[in-house]
Amino acid sequence: MTLASLLRDAGLTGRGGAAFPTAVKLEAALGHRARLIVNCCDGEIGAAKDGWVVEHHLDELVSGARLLSPRRPATIRYAAHRGSPTAVRLHGAGLDVLEVPARYVSSEESSLISIAQGGLARPMTKRAPPFVAGGRDSAGRRIRPTVVLNAETVWRVLQLVEWGADWFRSYGTAAEPGPRLVSVNSPTARGVVLETEAGARMSELLSAVGGLPADAEAVLIGGLGGSFVPADAVPSLAWSTADLARLGAGIGPGVIELIEPRECPIALVDRFLAYAAGESAGQCGPCMFGVPALAAEWHRFAECPSAPLLHDISRRSGLLPGRGACRFPDGVARFVASATWVYRDHLEGHLAGYCLDPGRRPADVLTR
Amino acid sequence: MSSRAERDSRPALRPAGAGMTELRVDRIACTGHGVCASVLPHHFELDEWGYPIVTDPAVPAADGTTAIRLCPARALYRT
Repeated sequence: MTLASLLRDAGLTGRGGAAFPTAVKLEAALGHRARLIVNCCDGEIGAAKDGWVVEHHLDELVSGARLLSPRRPATIRYAAHRGSPTAVRLHGAGLDVLEVPARYVSSEESSLISIAQGGLARPMTKRAPPFVAGGRDSAGRRIRPTVVLNAETVWRVLQLVEWGADWFRSYGTAAEPGPRLVSVNSPTARGVVLETEAGARMSELLSAVGGLPADAEAVLIGGLGGSFVPADAVPSLAWSTADLARLGAGIGPGVIELIEPRECPIALVDRFLAYAAGESAGQCGPCMFGVPALAAEWHRFAECPSAPLLHDISRRSGLLPGRGACRFPDGVARFVASATWVYRDHLEGHLAGYCLDPGRRPADVLTR
Repeated sequence: MSSRAERDSRPALRPAGAGMTELRVDRIACTGHGVCASVLPHHFELDEWGYPIVTDPAVPAADGTTAIRLCPARALYRT
C-alpha cells in the first residue's frame, strides 16, 4: 500500500485551515518531485498548535516529513516566524529553518513558496495549475514545484503510518475523521493546545480555559479570518464543520478565542481591524486600499456612530471577497460580517447613543 | 470584424458554451488602469480606486482576447 492510498483510506485532510485532502496533495507533489515546506508558523491570531507539535513531537514531525518528501530529506524546510520559540527549537534540532517575518499573510502557502525561492514573504497569484506543479509569479519569475504541508498534518501522517487508518478513523466523525489539535485562548490564558477530535463538545473545549463565562456574549472561532458565534449557541455546539457552518463558522486552523465579556465589542473589532489594516501585503489594490478603508470606517463608527456608516461598512466589506491573491480580504470580510450580526445589539446601542458596556476593560486579544 | 457600435449593442449576458471564455484578474499585477471596464463594460466595473469588480467573468472569446491584449498591466488571463 502506498503512502497516498493510506492517507486516502484514513481521510486525512490538511490541518492548516483549508482541509484539502492530503493524499491528493501528496500525489501531485510526487508527480512533480516538489520540494517540501513544513509550515510551523501558527499564522492565525491565537494559533499555537504548530509550535506545540514542534515542542512535543519534533522527532515524529521530522520522520513524517521524510516520508512525505519527494526529494532527499536535506531539501525539507521548516517554516517558522523569525525569532519565535518554534524557530529556535527547529534550529536547535539542526533543521533547515525557513524564517519568515511575523506578519499575518507571510505564512500563507504561496508566501512561503515565494520566500523559499528568494522572493518576499508575500502571497502570489494562483494562476492554474497550483504551485505544486511549479509555475510563474505575477512578475514572470519561475517558481519551482513546491508543496506546503501544515506541521500537524505531517505529524498525523507519521502517526498513521505507525498505527494505521483504523486507529485514525476511531477518532472524529465519518465526515471528519482523525484526532486533531485545537488552540484555545482566553483573555488570561493564551495558546492552550488541546488534543481533540471532530464532534467534541465546544463547551468541553472551552473548559480548558475555565469555561464559558456566565456573561459571555460571543466566542471567536478562527481568529481574524474567522467568525464570531453567539455564546448562547455554544452549549449545544459540536466542533464539526456541519455544526459550525450553521452559524457561519468553520474549523479552519482550529483556533477558539473566548471574548472578554466586559469589553465593548465595537472597540474589540476596531482593534482587530486596525491590526488587519497594517497586515495587507500591499500588493492587490482591493486589499491594500479596501481593508484600511474598512478599518477606518469601523473606527469612525466607534467614535461617532451613524446608520449610513454602518451601511458603508457592509458595502465595503462586501467588496473584499475574491479580489485578492490570497484569502486575507475574504477572511476580514467574514470577520466583519459575523461581528455585525452577533453584536447587532451593541451596534444599535451605539447608534442610539449608549454603550452596553459602561465598565469596558481592555483585553489584549491581539497579544501573540 | 464587427464595428464598435455593433459590439456595444450586444446583450450583456449570453448562454455559456462555444465562443465564450472566462476571464480572471491577476490582482497583484493589476494596477487599476481600468481598460477592462472600458472594453467589457457589461462584465467589469471599477471600485472607487479604479480596481475591477468582475460582475460576469464569462465573455465572448474574441472580446476576451481583446481585453487581455489591451490590459497595460497584463493582469487579465483565461481560466
